[in-house]
Amino acid sequence: MRKYAVLVALLLAVLVSGTAFAQDKLIVWVGGHVVEQEQTWAEIISAFEEATGIEVEYRLIGFDVYYDTLVTAFSAGQGPDMTFADLGGWVPTFAAQGWIESLEDRLQASDITEQIWPNLWPTVTYNGERYGLPWYTDCRVLMYNKIMFEEAGLDPEKPPVTWDELLEYAKALTDPRQMKYGYGVSGKRSEVATLGYMIFLHGAGGELLTEDYSKAAFNTPAGLSALKFYTELFTEHKVSPPATPSYGEDDFRSMMAQNRVAMAISGPWAFPLIEMANPAIVGNYAVAIHPYSAEPASVLGGWASVVSSTSKMKEEAWKFIEYITSYDVWRMWIARHGGPMPTRMDVCYDAPEFDDPRWEVILEAFPYAKVRPPIPEWPEVSDRIQNMIQVVVTGQATAEEAIAIAEQEINAILGN
Amino acid sequence: MLRKLYGDMTRNAFAYRMLIPYVVFLALLVLYPIIANFVISLQADGLWTLKNYQQVFKEPVFAKVAFNTVIWTVGSVVLQLLVGFVLALLLNQDFRGRAFFRSIILVLPWATPDIVVGVAWQWMYNDMYGVLNDILFRLGIIDYYLPWLADQDLARLAVIIANTWKGFALSAMFYLAALQTVPHELYEASEVDGANVFQKFLNVTWPILRPFVVTTTMLTTIWTINYFPLIFTMTGGGPANATDTFVTYAYRTAFRFLDFNRSAAMSSFTFVLVFLISLLYLRALSRKEAER
Repeated sequence: MRKYAVLVALLLAVLVSGTAFAQDKLIVWVGGHVVEQEQTWAEIISAFEEATGIEVEYRLIGFDVYYDTLVTAFSAGQGPDMTFADLGGWVPTFAAQGWIESLEDRLQASDITEQIWPNLWPTVTYNGERYGLPWYTDCRVLMYNKIMFEEAGLDPEKPPVTWDELLEYAKALTDPRQMKYGYGVSGKRSEVATLGYMIFLHGAGGELLTEDYSKAAFNTPAGLSALKFYTELFTEHKVSPPATPSYGEDDFRSMMAQNRVAMAISGPWAFPLIEMANPAIVGNYAVAIHPYSAEPASVLGGWASVVSSTSKMKEEAWKFIEYITSYDVWRMWIARHGGPMPTRMDVCYDAPEFDDPRWEVILEAFPYAKVRPPIPEWPEVSDRIQNMIQVVVTGQATAEEAIAIAEQEINAILGN
Repeated sequence: MLRKLYGDMTRNAFAYRMLIPYVVFLALLVLYPIIANFVISLQADGLWTLKNYQQVFKEPVFAKVAFNTVIWTVGSVVLQLLVGFVLALLLNQDFRGRAFFRSIILVLPWATPDIVVGVAWQWMYNDMYGVLNDILFRLGIIDYYLPWLADQDLARLAVIIANTWKGFALSAMFYLAALQTVPHELYEASEVDGANVFQKFLNVTWPILRPFVVTTTMLTTIWTINYFPLIFTMTGGGPANATDTFVTYAYRTAFRFLDFNRSAAMSSFTFVLVFLISLLYLRALSRKEAER
């Protein structure tokens, strides 16, 4: 009998150990491109601990595994008290699962709210309530290689503005024998393919979904012209590398650093990355508003702070969010790292580090930046857009067929 | 009959009692997830329903995914068995440095983490910088660089080749172990009878290896159907679903779209499929055993 008692006690100990040690520290998970700045995070966190007396236990998680780590933790009810969620649809997705807490009341009461770029709010809104406070943001623009422009006899100070110019430039810049290509079309099965299509779609004056996000709205002449132009850059004009269906923005950035690809969609997060890939590129790349056919367009991204709905330290989590989103912390961060772009307008305008031609373009493009539809179905909707692009660039279907199928599938996902 | 069973039970009662903890743990570890998965797959919006299964089977890409799964499994299993078999025969020979080659060839691919293998192959297949294109080009086999992971058929082939590299070691190890059990006297005896190399293989080696081949085929088939990190890192199921299998579909549905019910339906379907395949193999195996 005693043996059984010991066994039972042992089992109980194992089962309980997961929850036995009552939590007294604020659990914070940081993800996204900012995790590289380990030292700064350590300093921010110890300064916060000193100022508030709240103990913080934090983890920095690489982007590749971040989404899966969060989803696994939240679905097991073991999410961190405070974490970052991608502005590309994570906030409404998590809110719909009941994983994160509405911050509407706290935001109403906070004076940080009025300093946030207003076009960011839809990304964190679900059912009319705000579930996150955007922390850093970015928008996508055209990045180009000045050396390749000069070699092709193009003026590196005059990037293309319209689609026609884009095509003309791209053709001039392409030389397959030297493995040099004019424009990188993201054809990979990844969010970047959707983002690429969205920039062309909005640039043609089209919209992805209807205003209430209930139906697909891209199967229009504008939407079709965007899909055709985007994919024909590869299939017809061959100004994008042969393995385009397996490439995305990050690949093209590496190729641009090696003077292999002259133009591609990119953003401010890429400045340190391209310079790290090839120090000789410093000063030899520039950005511009992405070429368009009807109106300037961009898509915004970034990260928002969110609070777990099962957290026992919501008050402390909010204090931490307010702290990292404060003017002073952001000025310190920018002074030290030069980026990413804060969601606070006052910091963007005050920071001397943003007196830089590249950042001027980013700040100029930002007001044109559209959000990805903030709906829980977004990951699946985006997947269908990616598939639409992939079937066209691999020659499985024509643009007309692919767009009709994607429209039908997305309407089915949205419940029509 | 019953009495005999009961007699066995009482005689072996002590042994059975010893086994109880293992059986309980196995049941918890194996049965619980399977049952939980079936339960989840039969629910949607808090109701019991078959909706998830209907949704999975009505999926426009279902036929393509099924086709891909068959190609991926058959291709990988056949290649792994062939490469593993040949390697086992070679490594069974006596030569200098045998232990070294055995450990390098058999352990290296098996011990390398899946994601590392995926990324490494992805780079080797890269159309512009990849070593594979470079070698083929220099050998004059191709006259332009192939976009390995960007073409539907090439991508299917590419993931199968990578998986063969990753998995052949296990087959080879099984065969090598089997080959070591062949008594040397049998070869000597057949030599006395004037058998040549092929006759020796056919009449001595093969009969002993056959059950190992069946078992290894079964295991690799099951593993290949369920194996996904390689595809996921190399192609993500693309281009245009060309390398999407049942498991990449299930993974994407759960961890990208957060539709756990639909993902569970796909997983349960795959489970039943794998289960049926195992039954077939087991029957084939036991029939062969009975024949002997």
